[in-house]
Amino acid sequence: MTSTLMIEGLRVEVAGKEVLKGFDLSMKTGEVHVIMGPNGSGKSTLAHALTGHPGYKVLGGSVRIDDVELLTMSPTDRARHGLLLAMQQPLEVAGVRPIDLLVAAGVNPANLRERMRDEADRVELRPEILDRFVNVDLSGGERKRAEMVQFGMLRPKFAVLDEIDSGLDVDALGAVARRLSSASNEWECGILAITHFKRLLQELTPTMIHVLSEGRVVATGGPELSDILERDGYEPFRVASA
Amino acid sequence: MKTFADSASAFIADRPDAAPRQLAWAAFEAAGLPTTSDEVWRYAPLKYFDLDRFGVASEPATRADSAFAAQLCERAGLVVRVVDGFCVNTGTGLEGVSVEVVESTQSLAGTTFAERYRNDTFAILNAALAPATTVIRVGAGVNVQEPIVVLNLSNSTASFSRTQIELGRGASATIVEYFEGGANALVVPLSEYLLDDNSSLQLITYQRLDHSAWHVARTTGFVNRDARLRQAVVGIGAHYNRSRNDAEMRGAGSENELRTTFLGSGDQVHDFRTHQMHTGARSRSTLLSKGAVADQSRSVYTGLIEIEKGAKRTDARQTNHNLLLSPAAHADSVPNLDIRENDVMCAHASSVGPLDELQRWYLESRGVSREDAERLMIQGFFYEMLANLPPELAELVERDVTSVLATVNVVTP
Repeated sequence: MTSTLMIEGLRVEVAGKEVLKGFDLSMKTGEVHVIMGPNGSGKSTLAHALTGHPGYKVLGGSVRIDDVELLTMSPTDRARHGLLLAMQQPLEVAGVRPIDLLVAAGVNPANLRERMRDEADRVELRPEILDRFVNVDLSGGERKRAEMVQFGMLRPKFAVLDEIDSGLDVDALGAVARRLSSASNEWECGILAITHFKRLLQELTPTMIHVLSEGRVVATGGPELSDILERDGYEPFRVASA
Repeated sequence: MKTFADSASAFIADRPDAAPRQLAWAAFEAAGLPTTSDEVWRYAPLKYFDLDRFGVASEPATRADSAFAAQLCERAGLVVRVVDGFCVNTGTGLEGVSVEVVESTQSLAGTTFAERYRNDTFAILNAALAPATTVIRVGAGVNVQEPIVVLNLSNSTASFSRTQIELGRGASATIVEYFEGGANALVVPLSEYLLDDNSSLQLITYQRLDHSAWHVARTTGFVNRDARLRQAVVGIGAHYNRSRNDAEMRGAGSENELRTTFLGSGDQVHDFRTHQMHTGARSRSTLLSKGAVADQSRSVYTGLIEIEKGAKRTDARQTNHNLLLSPAAHADSVPNLDIRENDVMCAHASSVGPLDELQRWYLESRGVSREDAERLMIQGFFYEMLANLPPELAELVERDVTSVLATVNVVTP
């Protein structure tokens, strides 16, 4: 069944400053949308606000999955309604094992260890990492891959990937991107990838690209947009927004 | 009526080695009980402590094991049973390991107990009133695969168990000292560990006494050249839980890893003291103390790293983290350094605070409920401390700790 993620007029404040100033986006499950933009344009703010990070204050707007408003929900309920954030810098949670996290998150415990191993294989994560506490003593790349294991087990309707490509080498990036691509086939996962590298786009075939500048979407288009960005940078879009 | 003194005198008179005990008792009487004006006893609820509530056990009473104790024993290669301070069964059947009960006044430090612990009132009481010393020896070169369990069971008395564990050169073993029972009891265990060159001991001290007990424990490790003492101390029970854990890194290249952890609830007081003394060159110590206090409970962690002149290239670390699970709970953290050698690496860190809001959000953002996220994080506080234990023991202790945690109220600010 197709679901729709609808973000309208989202305004978010961080440390007293309005960073997102009316963000709009609509996407369906099975689609891959990419958000690109210069540093400070609001990309990470979007990712954190969507999942209810305590440091981000929503000033207005709406985020709905199939007409159910998420912004009034707890982070837990947002996740249970199908939204998952894969973080740029996944947090260490000492003493908590990935398997216990997943069971508490409602993942079916049957053969869970084996299923986690399979997921780890798919993103070339050493299986012994799964026995370590969540993200503790992992390299940057291992953390990203460990997030992908959670992703594969939680099977969200929509995954928000906050610069999942940073800190990954080319091989790892390929593995992560392939995992994400097959997710859109396996359970029609909708993917909202935030990046400022073109690398990820070569691996993931985007349905749409959105250019974010000064807290708003200033351009939306097909994959060809990334070529323009590659050639001209963000400056022309910044001008367009003024 | 002086219940305690009378029962102590009667107990001592009956022992074959009454004379040194009387000396220790006289030292106790001269010193008297500490008061909260003594810095090291500042946090103890001594105001409500009355020795005459207790009588010294003249013989072990019978006591049934808890389900947990039974499970622990199932996993053991050797079980030493100590009831009310009396070793009632030395166990059998583990090659290279001997267990003896000896009337001895000698500390593994090389002096008498009374001399060694002259500044510690409760340890002096142990010198006077422990029925005997249970001595566990692991022969040189023996690698004991299965855990040795020392089951300390207490009834409603004053009991003074004393244990010495000695590992020969190159030996290795895992030993659990477990405490349960002790309703309205005073439990004063004293343990010493001597690790000869190149030996390796994993110790687990698990205290699950009744919440009415007074528990005043002291352990000391003597670590020789290239030997390694890893000690996990978990305190859950007792009304007043005092745990002093010392280690002396005497040999070059010796190593101590100490992990102490506690969970406070109700009006418990957890009072952890550590002293890592480095005399050997290139010796290392890592101390991680973590605990959580709920309800109106409180905790104090006081740790001293002492590095003697000549202990070159010593590396000593001390970390203490305290989790406040209720606004009425309180934790104090007092790390100290005393360093008399320049060529060393030394670090300490401490924190006191509620559960980390961002970690909780991270778990919630995966679909974990707030309550479960908090529960996982608090469990995690303890699991982290058990991470280095043999898996079959870690799993058992984790399950037990988890069952206790399930009963604790978490009030977040």
